[in-house]
Amino acid sequence: MANTVIGSSIVIDGEISGDEDLVIQGTVKGKISLRESLFVEGSGVVEADIETQNVEIAGRVTGNIQATDKVELKADCRVVGDVKAPRILIADGASFKGNVDMDVKER
Amino acid sequence: MAQADQVGVIGKGIVIRGNLTGGGNLVIEGRVEGQIALKNHLTIENTGRVQADIRADELTINGEASGNIDASSRVAISASAKVAGDIKAPRVVIEDGAVFNGSIEMDVKLPEDI
Repeated sequence: MANTVIGSSIVIDGEISGDEDLVIQGTVKGKISLRESLFVEGSGVVEADIETQNVEIAGRVTGNIQATDKVELKADCRVVGDVKAPRILIADGASFKGNVDMDVKER
Repeated sequence: MAQADQVGVIGKGIVIRGNLTGGGNLVIEGRVEGQIALKNHLTIENTGRVQADIRADELTINGEASGNIDASSRVAISASAKVAGDIKAPRVVIEDGAVFNGSIEMDVKLPEDI
């Protein structure tokens, strides 16, 4: 399957939706809704609300994150916003500010 | 990443609505609606569907595009492409089999701000 990559020099202002994996190395502002995995790499800057299945963040994200499966905040990431997912991992070294909701009622 | 020269790809399953700007080369296999401004080469693959005003240095269209196109060097519309809109570029190539509706203006100065 073709992997979508938003390269480091690309800026998107608007809405991204779809049903395949997305790798962000550039800048995205607006809204992201995916049915697969989102990877925000070290150079990636996201100012957007995110709805996805899985998300791995090594870059900078400002916005609320809602995942149906897992949110992983890697070391060196900077995340500001509320996170809602059944599984949330925060690595040592990550910077995070916001609420965490693991949705314990459903489990 | 394997692609060191900053190639971006918008895959088949992805829809973008809004503005897309940047340097580097970009390949669109999915859908983009809005505006595109790119400093280098934009390729719209067979599966790509773009409804946007496009500004780029060089543009290759294999898929569907509608909107006005402003290229500073070259526009190539290949045999599988369907294009609607006005094109401004110093060099425009339309292959046999391509569908194109719109006007073409080849005598154009370079866009200042891309």
